[in-house]
Amino acid sequence: MSFLALRVNKIHFLLAAFLSGINIFLILTIAPQNQLQPDFGNIFYIHVPVAWTAFIGYLLVMIFSILFLWKQGQTWDHFALASAEAGTIFMFLVLITGPIWAKPAWGHFWVWEPRLTTSLVLFLIFLGYFMLREFGGNPEQVSRYAAVLGIIAFLDVPLIFLSVKLWLPELQSHPQVGQYFENTGIMPVLMINYSLLSLLVVISFMIRFRVHNLKRRETHKII
Amino acid sequence: MGNLIWKELINEWRSREMVVSMFIFGLAVTLVFAFAFNVSPVLFRQFAPGLLWVVILFTSVLGLNRLFSYEGDMDAHWSWISAPIDRGLVFLSKLLVGFIFLSMAELLFIVPFFLFLNLDVSFSILFFLGILILGNSAIISIGCLISGLALRANMREVLIPVLLFPLASPVIIAATKSTVFIFENKPFGEWRIWILILFTFLLTSALLGYLFYDQIVEE
Repeated sequence: MSFLALRVNKIHFLLAAFLSGINIFLILTIAPQNQLQPDFGNIFYIHVPVAWTAFIGYLLVMIFSILFLWKQGQTWDHFALASAEAGTIFMFLVLITGPIWAKPAWGHFWVWEPRLTTSLVLFLIFLGYFMLREFGGNPEQVSRYAAVLGIIAFLDVPLIFLSVKLWLPELQSHPQVGQYFENTGIMPVLMINYSLLSLLVVISFMIRFRVHNLKRRETHKII
Repeated sequence: MGNLIWKELINEWRSREMVVSMFIFGLAVTLVFAFAFNVSPVLFRQFAPGLLWVVILFTSVLGLNRLFSYEGDMDAHWSWISAPIDRGLVFLSKLLVGFIFLSMAELLFIVPFFLFLNLDVSFSILFFLGILILGNSAIISIGCLISGLALRANMREVLIPVLLFPLASPVIIAATKSTVFIFENKPFGEWRIWILILFTFLLTSALLGYLFYDQIVEE
């Protein structure tokens, strides 16, 4: 059965496509621009909410992992895995949109800026997380291992951020979005973007959760 | 816990495989670095702290692989899983033993490292030993936790470095930075913050390992 054959998927897909269209239209037409970087600067309207949702995804991994270890329900494990997948897709987008902005602004695609570096390290840790899921041993044990790793990974974030920030103190951090647009009525558009991206992450999370649940049911049937 | 540590030490004394292989591996990597970065002594001095910690990190992966495969080879996990002891203590004993073995191997290859790279020792040895002890224990503590997670994985040899390198990035940054300050004979006040980061990392990972080991090794 194809992905769009399911009615609920079709609704989610159309909703996401429609809202993304509106979102891009708003960013290109009415969203306030940075005076010095009029064109490429607008990528911040996507980059910031994407980064926000990616970190929310990873925070959810930690929360669901704790709940899994505490309550031992398989559903919590599926929740954690689905959040990790959604978070990683969004983190990948952060790593794409960051350099797109950095090249014209700073002259290099990659700068060891604390937030970007922390995102990269977290992204790599979660690639390892998926490898552990895939090759870690029998499924029940792997769920526990992955839960522990999900917790460690998020707890590592403050230390990674702090050490990268102190590592190259002379390096300028990229601006906060409020400063960047000098607070000139950016909030409405930014809020729409936050809501849209949050919706997208929820949709991807739900789809992946459904997939994992179905897989488990199929496995149980076979057994 | 004393018995667990004793068991590991006796095992190593009989085979001597871990410390010796770590030492030879460290030596080989040092040699490769000496060939690959054939630059002036001044530049070498600037690179040296980073190179040293890369060698230590690579060597630790080798040790971690071996440290947790003893029991795996003979399926002897059962003996300490079923032993009436706190499993957190098993983690702490592995941490301590891993630290001892890494430090021993390191003491052996650090002399050739300085010799091959023509580095002069004009800095505080005490501070240098201190940072080695702190850095080693931080790497081993997160490493033991990861090795525990990858204990039954099909691709353990790959999984350990894939998980360890990004997770240990604060340790590598902090340890390299501290070593740079030590090599330049800077006052302790200037690089105190890095020691604080290393301590925080060590305490957090040791505590998490102690708490979660019960979950990790459960059958």
